[in-house]
Amino acid sequence: MKANLTTKDGQARQNSRRAFLGNLSLALPASLLLTSACNRGGGQGDKFVIGFSQANKAEPWRTWMDDTLMKEAGKQPKIEIAYADAQQDNSKQVADVENFLRQRVDLLIISPNEAKPLTGIVKRVYESGIPVIILDRSIEGDSYTTFIGANNREIGRAAGEYAAQLLGGKGSVVEIKGLPGSTPAIDRSAGFREAVAAHSGIKIVADPVADWLRDKGREQAEAALRANEKIDLVYGHNDPMAMGAYLAATAMNRAEGLKIIGIDGLPGTEGGAKAVLDGKLDATFLYPNCGKEAIETAVKILNKERAPKTITPPTARITKENAAQFIKSE
Amino acid sequence: MTLLGERRIGRVKLSQLQAFLGLIVVFILACVFSPVRRGELIFLDPGNLTDILRQVSEKGIIAVGMTFVILAGGIDLSVGSVLAFAASLSAVMLMRGGYGTPETLLAVLAAGLLIGAVNALVITKGRIQSFIVTLAMMSGARGLARLVSGGSGVEIGYGAGGAPQSFSVLGGKLGQFVPVPALIFLATVAIAWVGLNKTRFGRYVHAVGSNETASRLSGVGVDWVKFGVFSICSLLAALAGIIHCAQLEQGNPNDGVAYELDAIAAVVIGGTSLSGGTGTVVGTLVGTLIIGIINNILGLNNVDANVQLLLKGIIIIGAVLLQRRG
Repeated sequence: MKANLTTKDGQARQNSRRAFLGNLSLALPASLLLTSACNRGGGQGDKFVIGFSQANKAEPWRTWMDDTLMKEAGKQPKIEIAYADAQQDNSKQVADVENFLRQRVDLLIISPNEAKPLTGIVKRVYESGIPVIILDRSIEGDSYTTFIGANNREIGRAAGEYAAQLLGGKGSVVEIKGLPGSTPAIDRSAGFREAVAAHSGIKIVADPVADWLRDKGREQAEAALRANEKIDLVYGHNDPMAMGAYLAATAMNRAEGLKIIGIDGLPGTEGGAKAVLDGKLDATFLYPNCGKEAIETAVKILNKERAPKTITPPTARITKENAAQFIKSE
Repeated sequence: MTLLGERRIGRVKLSQLQAFLGLIVVFILACVFSPVRRGELIFLDPGNLTDILRQVSEKGIIAVGMTFVILAGGIDLSVGSVLAFAASLSAVMLMRGGYGTPETLLAVLAAGLLIGAVNALVITKGRIQSFIVTLAMMSGARGLARLVSGGSGVEIGYGAGGAPQSFSVLGGKLGQFVPVPALIFLATVAIAWVGLNKTRFGRYVHAVGSNETASRLSGVGVDWVKFGVFSICSLLAALAGIIHCAQLEQGNPNDGVAYELDAIAAVVIGGTSLSGGTGTVVGTLVGTLIIGIINNILGLNNVDANVQLLLKGIIIIGAVLLQRRG
C-alpha cells in the first residue's frame, strides 16, 4: 500500500517535471523509467532514486519490511523509492532488476528470492557502478556493497537459552520445524539445539515439520501432544506454527503449564507480538526486518560515506512485559 | 443397454468395496505401527481418532464437492483459492465489518456459490475446458482473497470488539470428543450421497460424465448439470473456508495452497474415475480417511519429514492399485 503511494507521488512529480523539461526521450511508457531518467546524476537539490526489488510481497514479514523501509525512506527528503515485487519468482526478479539497471537507479536494494539465480544480475548491477544493498538472503560471492541480515542461528540460540530458563533446565520439548532445507529452518534448529544441549535434563521428544504453516503446525502439535503424555514446551521456528501449537493445546486441554515460544515477532494484529500480548505465546524472538538499516545504509552510501560490508541487526526477546511497548514502537 | 448398465453398477459396487479394503489395510497398519502407552494403542485413543476426523474435515468437504465435478467429467482447480477467499472474507466481515455469524455465513456461502456459477458460465457458454477455466479462477480467487484481507492474515478474536462467540462453535467440539467440523463433513457426505443416488440430478451427473453427447441427445440439460456441479463444488469450498477460519482463528489469504490436489487425490483413492461417470461419495469419504490416517500415524511416530513424503506417495499408489485390482 505504502509502496504504491510513494510511487504514485513520484509519478505525479515526474509528470510535471516532464512537461517542464519537454524532453522527447522521456516520453517512454514506464513511469518509473521517467523517474530515474530525470533524476540520474543525483546532483545537489535533486532526488536519488533507489530501486527496491522485493522477493515476495505476499509474505507478512516482507510486507512489514516494505512498510518499515518506506516509512524510513519517507523521512529522507532526497530519496525516492521505485518498487518491484517479484511474487516469489526468480525470473521476474531478474527482470525487475534489469529494469532498474536500464533506468540507471542511483542504488539498488534487493531482498533476493534465492541466492543462485539472482547472483548474476546483481553482479552486473554492482559492476556497472551502482551500489547494491542486499537484505535478508545473500547472493553468492561478494559483488555487493552491504549485506544486511539477521543471524538465525543466534536467534535460535536465544530461543534455546530462554527455553532452558523457562523450564528450569529440565523438561520435554517439541520443536516444530519450518520448510526442510530452507536456511532459516536449518539455522533456527541448530542454534536452539546448541543452547539446550548444555542442559542434560532437557529432551527434544519430537521435531515434526510444518512448512511454516499454521494449519500444519496445529496438526503436527496434536500428534506430538497425543504421542507424548508430558510436554513442557513447544518451540516453533516461526510464530504461525507456534500459534498452531497453541490452538492444538487449547483444544486438547493441554495448555495448562505448557510453554510455547516462537520466532518472528511481527507487530501487526496477525503477528506473534500480539499473540504474546494476548497470552497465547509465552515469548517470541524478533526476526528484524532490516528496513530501517537498509535506508540508513543507503543514505550513507549515497553521501559517499563508508558502509560496512555486513550488518547484523540484533534480535530481541518479546515477552508479556515488553510486547505492548514493542507493538507501539513499530 | 440394460446389460451394460447392470455391469456398470456391479463394477461400482466392487470398486467401492475395494476402497474400503484400502481403508481397512491402512487402519490395520496404523494399529500395528501405533506407539503404545500403558498397554494401549495411542492411535486408537478416541481423542486421536476424532483428531483425525477434524484434521481431514476441511479437505474432505472440498473432496465431496470435487466428487460431483469429477463425476460429471470435469475438474475444479480453484477450490484452494476459494477456501482462502472464504476464510479471509469471513474474518474480515466478523472482525472489521462487525457482522454477526448468520450474515457472515450467508454472505460467504453466497460468494462461494457465485464463484462456482461464474466457473460454470464460462465453461458452458464459452465452451472452454474446466481445467483452464478453474485454473484462471485459482488465480482470480487468490487475488480476491488478498484484496479483501489487505494481503495478510486477519486474526479472529472473540469478545468485545471482536467476533461473536457463536462463530467459534464451527471450529469447536460438542462435548469432550466430537469436533463440529467433522460433523459438518459427515453431514455433507450424507447429503451428497442422497443427491447423487436418489435424485434425477444425481443420475444426470453420472450420465454427463459417462457420455456428454449421448446425454445431450437424450434430452439431459447438460449445461444445467455442469452449472449445478461447479456451484456445489465452490459452495463446499467456501464452507470449508469458513471452518478453516473458525478452526485456526484466522482468515489468511495465503492458505489453502495445493488443497485442490489433496482433494483430487482423496476422490481418486476413493475409486472415482478421473474420466468421469463412475465413482461414489462414500468412496471419497474413504479416500479422505485413508490420507488422514496416513498423516496421523506418520506424525505419531515422529517419522522424518522427507521419509513421510516418500511413504505417503507409496501408500497412495498402493491404495489406488488395491482399489483397481480385480
